[in-house]
Amino acid sequence: MTNSIGEIRDADFLFVIGSNTSEAHPIIAMEMKRAVRDGATMVVADPRAIWMTTIADKHLQIAPGSDVWLLNAMAHVIIEEGLVDETFIAEQTENFDAVRESVAKYTPEEAEKITGVPADDIRWTARKYATTKKAGIYYTLGITEHSHGTDNVYALANLVLMTGHLGKPSAGMNPLRGQNNVQGANDAGASPIFYPGYQRVDDPAAQAKYEAAWGVELSPEPGMNLNEMMKVVGKQLFGLFVMGEDIVLSEPNCMELEKALNKNEFLVLQDAFLNETARFANVVFPAGVFAEKEGVFTNSERRVQRVRKAVEPPGLARADWEILVDLANACGADWTYASAAEVYDELARHAPNFVGISHERIDTQVVDGPTGLQWPCPTPDHPGTKFLHEAGVLRGKGLFQPVEYRPSMELPDEDYGLLLSTGRTLYHYNCATQTRREPGLATKQPEAFVEIHPRDAKKRGVRDGDLVELSTRRGSVHARAIVSRQVRPGCIWTPLHFAEARANVLTNDAGDPVTGTAEYKVCAAEVKVVEATTDGATRFPGSYYGVGGPGPDGAQPVDAGARAE
Amino acid sequence: MSNEKNERAASVTEKLREAGGLLDERSRDVARATGVPEATVYGVGSFYHLLARPHAKVRVCTGLSCQLAGADDVLAAARKAGLPVEGVSCLAGCDVPPAVLRERRVLPSVTVADVERAGGDWTKLESAAAPGDTEWRGAIGPERDDPDTLVLNLFGAPRPLGGAFARARELGPDGIVAALETAGLQGRGGAGFPAHIKWNGVLSQAETTRYVVLNADEGEPGTFKDREVMLRRPDLVLEGLAIAAQAIGARDVYLYLRGEFEIPWGIVERMIADAAKSGVYGDIHFHLHAGHGAYICGEETALLEALEGKRGMPRLKPPFPVEVGLWGKPTLIHNVETIACVPSIIEKGGEWFRALGRDEAGTKLYCVSGHVQRPGTYELPLGVTLDELVEAAGGYVGTPKAFSPGGASSGFLPMSMRDTPLDFKSLGKVGSMLGSSGVVVLNDTVDIREAVLHQMRFFHDESCGQCAPCRIGTRYLKESVEKDMREGAGSAGALANVAEAAWQMNEGSICGLGQAAPLPLTTSLEHFPEEFGA
Amino acid sequence: MSENGQNGTSTIEIEGRTLAFEAGETVLEVAQRNGIEIPTLCHDPRLDPAGACRTCLVEIDGWRRLAPACATKANAGMKIASENARIDRHRRSLLALYMTDHPSDRETSERGAPDQLLDMVEQYDAPSDWGWLETLRSDRPDDANPYIHFNPDTCIVCARCTRYCDEVEGVSAITLAGRGSQTTISTVDRLGLLDTTCEMCGGCIDVCPTGAMGEKTPLMRGDKPERELTKVRSTCNFCGVGCQLDLNVDPDGNDGKGRVVKVTSPPTGTTTNDGNLCVKGRFAYDFINHEERLTTPLIRNAAGEFEAASWDEALRVAAQGLMGVRDRHGADALAFVSSSRCTMEENYLVQKLSRAVFRTNNVHQCAAT
Repeated sequence: MTNSIGEIRDADFLFVIGSNTSEAHPIIAMEMKRAVRDGATMVVADPRAIWMTTIADKHLQIAPGSDVWLLNAMAHVIIEEGLVDETFIAEQTENFDAVRESVAKYTPEEAEKITGVPADDIRWTARKYATTKKAGIYYTLGITEHSHGTDNVYALANLVLMTGHLGKPSAGMNPLRGQNNVQGANDAGASPIFYPGYQRVDDPAAQAKYEAAWGVELSPEPGMNLNEMMKVVGKQLFGLFVMGEDIVLSEPNCMELEKALNKNEFLVLQDAFLNETARFANVVFPAGVFAEKEGVFTNSERRVQRVRKAVEPPGLARADWEILVDLANACGADWTYASAAEVYDELARHAPNFVGISHERIDTQVVDGPTGLQWPCPTPDHPGTKFLHEAGVLRGKGLFQPVEYRPSMELPDEDYGLLLSTGRTLYHYNCATQTRREPGLATKQPEAFVEIHPRDAKKRGVRDGDLVELSTRRGSVHARAIVSRQVRPGCIWTPLHFAEARANVLTNDAGDPVTGTAEYKVCAAEVKVVEATTDGATRFPGSYYGVGGPGPDGAQPVDAGARAE
Repeated sequence: MSNEKNERAASVTEKLREAGGLLDERSRDVARATGVPEATVYGVGSFYHLLARPHAKVRVCTGLSCQLAGADDVLAAARKAGLPVEGVSCLAGCDVPPAVLRERRVLPSVTVADVERAGGDWTKLESAAAPGDTEWRGAIGPERDDPDTLVLNLFGAPRPLGGAFARARELGPDGIVAALETAGLQGRGGAGFPAHIKWNGVLSQAETTRYVVLNADEGEPGTFKDREVMLRRPDLVLEGLAIAAQAIGARDVYLYLRGEFEIPWGIVERMIADAAKSGVYGDIHFHLHAGHGAYICGEETALLEALEGKRGMPRLKPPFPVEVGLWGKPTLIHNVETIACVPSIIEKGGEWFRALGRDEAGTKLYCVSGHVQRPGTYELPLGVTLDELVEAAGGYVGTPKAFSPGGASSGFLPMSMRDTPLDFKSLGKVGSMLGSSGVVVLNDTVDIREAVLHQMRFFHDESCGQCAPCRIGTRYLKESVEKDMREGAGSAGALANVAEAAWQMNEGSICGLGQAAPLPLTTSLEHFPEEFGA
Repeated sequence: MSENGQNGTSTIEIEGRTLAFEAGETVLEVAQRNGIEIPTLCHDPRLDPAGACRTCLVEIDGWRRLAPACATKANAGMKIASENARIDRHRRSLLALYMTDHPSDRETSERGAPDQLLDMVEQYDAPSDWGWLETLRSDRPDDANPYIHFNPDTCIVCARCTRYCDEVEGVSAITLAGRGSQTTISTVDRLGLLDTTCEMCGGCIDVCPTGAMGEKTPLMRGDKPERELTKVRSTCNFCGVGCQLDLNVDPDGNDGKGRVVKVTSPPTGTTTNDGNLCVKGRFAYDFINHEERLTTPLIRNAAGEFEAASWDEALRVAAQGLMGVRDRHGADALAFVSSSRCTMEENYLVQKLSRAVFRTNNVHQCAAT
């Protein structure tokens, strides 16, 4: 996030795209609700009528995968109507002309055909966004989990740069991180191309710095990202160390992965529970959970906060960091960290953005406002950084990147007539290893489900509450049908949390060429009844509306011909 | 907030009524139709007893005057006959006791014989005094040779609309307010607040969307004058509202009538239709809104909440409605009687009005009930004494012992105070109030402690429950009196802490209900100490 | 003393102290900012003032009635008393009334969270002998939800929970229902929370000043009351917002290893989450104590089954296995999958293990977002 969570409540315009905020980030959603209550305008762009649309001024019910069309059309309107921030563009950006040229053909009228969003709504949103000072963009996996996820992000960035909505409070570009320490894991260098603090492994200076610090020679060859790794298991990769992840459950197209893992030679798994991946493990280390260890997590707004040990781990289980030290030493290293704080100090010493941060400082510094410290924090007396780019765009000048629409890799066809998206729900978390062990959450959402529009359900003889088989070219799972206007006609949606209906059996592992993120949001699928419900509707309790509710019925199916162009 | 959204939210109570009240699943239906959250709909419905208890079709008034006239017998007979019946707080029919509510219609002077005639079928229940769909009226007086000495003149026939309105247009806002100021018109809903200050208050707001609201939620036990004004002179009400709307620049006028006023509703509705047909008031729109059974909504800010479709819980003041009223806009709220005074003041001048009163200005509609010969509504100079009023009502029944000068909230005064002028200031000085001028006379057959308990039950039933002093205090006082009746230890026992509790209620309550609720007990302890502790 | 100070700031006077205020600030906010204590029960900075509990009434010069400090906007020149005989009498008599409708012993009222009303009664030495009125507030008997328990006996109808549910969480699943002394907290048609729009954020528990809204599991389990638990401030391990939370630990639990028996949110205004938590953060902590937790290292034996092992053995086997792959196929035949669920330190150590010990940059974690 370029801004802080605390700034959301002061925003005057919120553009929420590809983020089911109230379910995936409930606390951020509370801040958004507060802003709306205080008079802010909110536009939600999402293929589903998610909860946030019930308080939004407008819901752009976009066809999955057509984000570039929507965003470029907004850029088109902003440029056409002269709503750009000329000064900002001139002083702080480059390559604007390329974008101006490229969006010329993305008229709202054409965009309407592809996105299903009325041209007038695109215009209205574009104008409102461009002309409101405190206008922030908030997005999540709905933007990135596409084969063209990077394009989506560039298209958003173009909007931010052309309106100068950057380097100011409550305005900016805010990806909401899905997991507690995504930011921190990246910051710490758990990346095939970066040392801690985003120092490139192929940068000789960085290499030299870490060779000196660690006293070893290091490889300047960038490694594989996760998506690449998972495709070459058993082919190029023969040994895996997996900490705190269930790759079998969470990687796209896991059927392929399972076959490959049988060819893998050695797998070490370190986790608090035996997960699906354990079936392929040679050794399993029992790890402590967050309540059993010291350390820091870094949140979406770059705030480094403490994790503190409250209880002892059960049995012989130990904190992950302690196990890692012993494993390294068993492999011949000579690590002598006495505490997590010492590990952090070493990390911070060589990463300029973190130098000013330490466990001790977070523990003892009494600040006015939220606790923790936001990086960049270059010195021990630096107060941390609330929002980025205040003194100008970080990388020097903000670079406009023209992007062209590319259709998703797999779209509905004769055999698989529906467009499947996957996502999260409020009541579970990722693979649900933790949340499904929680009786209450399991009561609220006990089993896998798939949302389908009444029109599509009728065509297939599916009734609310039926058990259906949901299949794609890669596999099939069983799930309970929820017939709901929450989804667009032609689209279906299923959550990714349920082991017995692993959504990643279905999803396409076509990845974004830059980030390696897989296309979880769009693939072709079909649904058929396996077992009709006997007691009529078994709608999930507490869904905020079901059939006949206030959900939109007006969204038209997208013209498949137009999209394939 | 968009107007459409406001209107949808405001329709929650009416939609619940149409759905048959707060039955299972109905809140969800209404939520779907209005966009108001389902729990909120339920919470609103549960606040209003006509919605919250949909199974009761017949309700017998348990107010003091009706009680004195045998309401208990009628209630018992109805129960025996198997009618879906329950007791209810005052129905504004103290002059026609016992009053009984059949769905939303008040039946006057219902007898045990009436109940028996219904034969267990509540739809057949009717009063022999007003059979069928008779639009019955109460007694009024005194008729004068010179109607110029009366402001409201309930004997007079309704006049064509628009006369005073046209005159007001000539005067302009300043002229109108000046006339009100000269007249010395005080609010006749209970507080006696100078009317012109309210009008000026609205006029001085920067916000130009403004509203006029009529408070016709008459519910103070002993009071029924507004009912009678609407029955007999709806012309004055509408004309007064139109003048107010024109003066403050409001286009929308909301009339909040208590839900039990089915008959006045019909009459006012017809008058509004006439006005709309003739176009006499230009683009001023009148909106009728029904209450659904909650005394507290007579409190002006609770009424605004109710109009907005919420639970009728009073707002904190300041800000006052003239600044932040209906949907947050400046709002002029008046009681029926107050607004009905306006046309005459505009036509005949403030001096004329002022001269009609004694120490305070104008005439006043006094309601009198209980132990008097001819209960009814009497227009007399503001500031008459009890004896003057009762004389107009044909005299006392039996030997008078105590009286309430202004509804339940005014407490009980001994006959030694019979010479106190019945006006705002004089009654305030003796620790009581004129309130809504609903005078109830009790003769020496009445047990004062019973009468007190009666009023305490009323306030306990009608407290909105928002603030602790009133919510807990009304119950504490009621139960203390009950305990005193059982144990008889007086101030050494059950009543030991009631004075302090009463002080707290007066000091700590948000609105007038809680502040005044202890008065029946505290005035009685002061004036009739011998009636307690035995 | 001028009403308008320097820099256009205005001042009010509380208890004789001249205090600057910003436009829109309430008397309570000015007082709290300056360390002047005014008791409150229904106030919460996240909510619009309700002025319903009446504990914060103060006396303002020229005002006939006492005014709620929480809802009264500071106005230049106001002179305010927050301590005098009238206010003291008010507080004591108000609390005395409250206590006729509330359990007076902590054993009964504090099975879960601390009861601020009882604290206040002690602080102001208010009488609690005015008698006892059995509560008329009704419960929802058939509420099978596993998390949130409502005890009508200790409810003071301050409406913090319903206002939070409306104003902060925005779902309005609970409401004030009924009227007068029967006013209670309800749902639509008195349904169980699972059958409503409730999202189980537990904010109602957090804002409740008396513990009437409580966490069900610890109550059913008979855990120690909150006062006897140790709070450890930490960061939630679910999404990327980084909510701060307090792990409430019974140090004697789990045979002295300590047991997390509930999670509460830090005070509003002190952390990014401003005192709020969601269903996962507040309630999904039982995995910590789950019986399926791994408690010993495991090694797959020749038969293909897991066998419990000592740390030394497991570490040795793991190291040999990984080094073996390196020796056979080269360092880049190894990959290290780290976790965005683990701490920054642990991610640092994994990449260092990958790079410095095994000399490969094949290290990543499951999240490109």
